[in-house]
Amino acid sequence: MDTNALIAVMVALPIASALFLNLLDKKDRTIKILAIITAIVIPIIPLLTPYGSHFFGGYVPLAQNATLAQGLPSLITGTQLFQFHPGIMYVFTSAQQLMVFVLGLITFFAIFTFLNETKRPSGVYAFLMFMGTASVSAILLSDDIFNIFVFFEIAALAQVGIIVASGIKNNYETALKYILLGNIAGPLLLLGIVILLGVTGNVNVTDMIFTFKQGYVDPNSPVILMSLALITFGWLYASGLPPFHTIKSAVYSKALPHGAALLQAFSVFTLVAIGIIILRLFSYNPFTNIAIIGISVIAMILGITMAIVQTDYKRILGYLAVGELGYIGIGLGLGTAFGITAGLFQAVNEAIITSFLFIGFGTVLYKTRTSNTRKLGGMMYVNPRVALLVLLAGLAMAGVPPLNAFQSKLMLIQAAIQSGLPELGIIMILLSIVTFMTFMKAFYTIYMRPKPKELEILDNKIPRSTVISLVALLIICIILGLFPQIATNSLQTLAVGLV
Amino acid sequence: MSFYDIILKRIRKIQEKAEEEPITNVTASAMLTAELTLIISVLVAVVMVRLIHPVLMIIMIAAVLVIALMAMPIMPRLRREQNDDLNNMMFYVVVALGIIVALFYWGNLNV
Repeated sequence: MDTNALIAVMVALPIASALFLNLLDKKDRTIKILAIITAIVIPIIPLLTPYGSHFFGGYVPLAQNATLAQGLPSLITGTQLFQFHPGIMYVFTSAQQLMVFVLGLITFFAIFTFLNETKRPSGVYAFLMFMGTASVSAILLSDDIFNIFVFFEIAALAQVGIIVASGIKNNYETALKYILLGNIAGPLLLLGIVILLGVTGNVNVTDMIFTFKQGYVDPNSPVILMSLALITFGWLYASGLPPFHTIKSAVYSKALPHGAALLQAFSVFTLVAIGIIILRLFSYNPFTNIAIIGISVIAMILGITMAIVQTDYKRILGYLAVGELGYIGIGLGLGTAFGITAGLFQAVNEAIITSFLFIGFGTVLYKTRTSNTRKLGGMMYVNPRVALLVLLAGLAMAGVPPLNAFQSKLMLIQAAIQSGLPELGIIMILLSIVTFMTFMKAFYTIYMRPKPKELEILDNKIPRSTVISLVALLIICIILGLFPQIATNSLQTLAVGLV
Repeated sequence: MSFYDIILKRIRKIQEKAEEEPITNVTASAMLTAELTLIISVLVAVVMVRLIHPVLMIIMIAAVLVIALMAMPIMPRLRREQNDDLNNMMFYVVVALGIIVALFYWGNLNV
């Protein structure tokens, strides 16, 4: 057996399981067993898979096929045809391994919490969660830009489904708005891809870069610049950067806590995956990096300032999550190996911490059925242990040592200073302080101030699985905070390759 | 009018414009923090214009300061604009698309 086929299994397994779960709706016990087995296996596969490439249909480039390459005329071996990738290719390196593993881990915690917090788990809901995970894994692995677009669309539909399934007030409206905005961004992204296909004759990113480097296509031609603009616009929608920050925060607030934890992980890893594609294709153009930094700074400022003035804690978290995306963007935009490593590390940390926060604050919704901070208070007495875990999650997001985001934010600030942009370091420090203040404001109103008389606290006990998930996420935060090299060593190779 | 009175007047204005819901200490201080964060972050970001030209940076900082002082309080307006209304969202999406295409297309060709 070709061991690299496991690369495709990372996408195929959640899709197969999702389709099967969809058929099993209303068979509660079978759904629980199948969903939990799939959720356990998903993060294990990337750990067992050797690094390499997977060529769908076995269509290897001629240059890598010794049998076919033998005796070919120089007319073929001396041209682009010899390097050309005839089929869809997935690439699996240490960076993809870490990111697919973390995504799988978050999927596991989301599924684990969902199955225990819901009396009658829905097979359709599990289907949507696994389809989203499969799509984002494919976006992280694929070297084929059209394949990425297909999974970008599937991920968007899965996200809409997760919102619709939440049953939260006005969720249908938010889902409809998200899909309508996607109807603008999606086709424009596709148009950008089509332009690149028309000009280079390829959809494989490696082949496109080869075309640029060999001078077959002028990378500064107006058509290519238009394609860059359109792909960047699609990237903003997929990741929730401005002008899509408002709808993205609304999307998080209209999903159930475990769904929101997964949705933000989708946004983070899509931002990274498409961001890397943009850097690989267009980093020859210095304006690309300036644009990424500009958009990221706007995302940070808008996300965090809008979070302060919200009164719904899910919306606060939604805006903070958008603001934190800006840190990742700055790392990518700096364009240095150290900066990109810091940005990727921040992405891994943010996905973990925001899931931690969504699941943690989700316990408040579970006990009170409200997310309005004006109506909340006194939750510290209800479950002090969960309150402590949520507090630690907030400290992690703000970048307090020895937790993980401290390391990645410190690296980002160092990278900004090394790149001759200390102003970015100042903005990141300032906004980290404000993030901490915003979190503490929400924490105080929910947990520390006296309980309002009209607040009704339900008798249902917080499931042990939720507390286990929170403790496990805290342990991951501490491990990555104390030993950041576990992540940075894996991400560095990819970052060096992009410079 | 002393400088203190000007600040006090502005704070009262912010409290009035904060939102239609009842104003509490938390909402007023949150709005004020957001206002200050927004202005300071934008000012620090504008310092990066020094990479293009130091004189341009000084002009832009002065311009941002004047605009900020004249437009204060900014956050209540920003909050009203950044709402969940589809028309607003569509408007900003189209504006952003225009800016991105113009910057990438003409910016690269002419700078």
